[in-house]
Amino acid sequence: MISRRDMLKTGAAAVAALPAPRLAFAQDVPFAPKPGAWRNFAVTTRLELPATGKAQAWIPLPSVREDEWIKPGRNAWQTNAVSVEVARDPKYGAEMLHVIFKDGETEPSVEVSSRFALRDRAEDLAAKGSVPALGDAERKLYLEATELMPTDGIVKETAEKAAAGKGSDIDKARAIYEWVVANTFRDAKTRGCGTGDVASMLRTGNLSGKCADLNALYVALVRSVGIPARDIYGIRVAPSKFGYKSLGAGSEIVTKAQHCRAEIWLEGYAWVATDPADVRKVVLEEPPGNNAVDTPKVVAARQVLFGAWEGNWLGYNVAHDVALPGSKHKVGFLMYPQAEVAGALLDCLDPDTFKYSIRSAEITA
Amino acid sequence: MAPLLALALLCGAASARADSLKPWAGDWLPPLALDRLDGPPIGLDALRGRPVIVHFFATWCAPCIEEMASLNALAVTPAAPAILAVDVGEVEARLRNFFGDRPVSFPILLDRDRAAMKAWKVEGLPTSFVLDRELKPALRTEEPLDWTSPAVAAALATLPPQAASPIQPTREKGETPR
Repeated sequence: MISRRDMLKTGAAAVAALPAPRLAFAQDVPFAPKPGAWRNFAVTTRLELPATGKAQAWIPLPSVREDEWIKPGRNAWQTNAVSVEVARDPKYGAEMLHVIFKDGETEPSVEVSSRFALRDRAEDLAAKGSVPALGDAERKLYLEATELMPTDGIVKETAEKAAAGKGSDIDKARAIYEWVVANTFRDAKTRGCGTGDVASMLRTGNLSGKCADLNALYVALVRSVGIPARDIYGIRVAPSKFGYKSLGAGSEIVTKAQHCRAEIWLEGYAWVATDPADVRKVVLEEPPGNNAVDTPKVVAARQVLFGAWEGNWLGYNVAHDVALPGSKHKVGFLMYPQAEVAGALLDCLDPDTFKYSIRSAEITA
Repeated sequence: MAPLLALALLCGAASARADSLKPWAGDWLPPLALDRLDGPPIGLDALRGRPVIVHFFATWCAPCIEEMASLNALAVTPAAPAILAVDVGEVEARLRNFFGDRPVSFPILLDRDRAAMKAWKVEGLPTSFVLDRELKPALRTEEPLDWTSPAVAAALATLPPQAASPIQPTREKGETPR
């Protein structure tokens, strides 16, 4: 049997064995997101709840505003709920539409449309600039442990091994990024986007999952070595214009296109885009699938997704451990619509018991 | 590299590690007052007189799924310990679907807010505790086990027989003994 510690050693060896990224490769359009024109979108979420008891629901609203790459717009809704309000998570500022239906409502439903603008982002990591320091409160917030992301013990131990010998924050963050890319893998069987129980992943040695697992692992590891980092929970809203089928929405129906990304704070650069989970998605899913790590598209993704990402993805919020207003329930993150009927939280990943749809449209007029 | 590493990870997760069932020393058990999935509440006191396995798990945890089958196989053996499986932080609807496909013969407790996980100092899933017949701490593991393996059976067989004057189960630090 291979123990977790042996597996970690295997992973370290695998990092060393990976080929260096190549700048020239055969690809239709080079994967090179660059800040350019803004694109406007509307995402519309519709919920139809079972009429089996008093119901309430929470739908995430775009709450991340970063003038470099995302600008939330207005939200509009239609519902037969008796109470509708925009609620805000007090710790992280995650906004959600909270609707409460009257007891006995026969067809509880709500439809929410949110507008927003996106563009590509890319950091020139060779050009360190002068940016204001991260405020103390934000620095504390994005260094702290969460329910599922401890920053001590095995997490810190793993991060320190991954970043051994690296002096600067950018070198440490990149080394940990490479470690995550080399040691984790995307598991198609993982429900939804995963759970993000970082300590369990490391302790069992099962480093599989999807974005909420792999990028949470990255964020926790980076935080544990003193570099602020955060997950952004969101959804893909458009195909990739760089030809990555696996890194974009496949159609206007994006009900299952949720995706989370990660940012790290680097002095001299501010928040920097990263997405090691999407590298593993390209490995597994980019046609023809199960790609080798030296496949040009994998190499390009691995190189680009430390410092850049494409503006075809909406970030809802950066919140962890979100208490749902008016409920006893709490969720690890708010990326999916949530609903409660007769006091029981519905399974947001079970289409048989919780029916909702999400559509995305680019607004060009 | 990825397929080989994936295989290694799966093998590592699924294999029995009987030697990881280690002594667990302590005077008091943490509290375990939790709702039960589709059943009447059950507390540790009701299980006094048999060894008890308290198993923390979640349905998203791949090693937990295989281990759950092994716990259920143990549960139907003669003189099996009592088993309480504590689900951490999942909605009941998800558990009903999961156990609808994989029924088990022991209670599923609901640690909705992870309070029990914290009280028992569980750092990752799966984690299991074994209490002796007096409900005293005996063994623990932070690895997925094959609970039907001879090595685990041997470890469970080392639990002491029931004493004449059982102690009370748990209270939180600083709480007045009952």
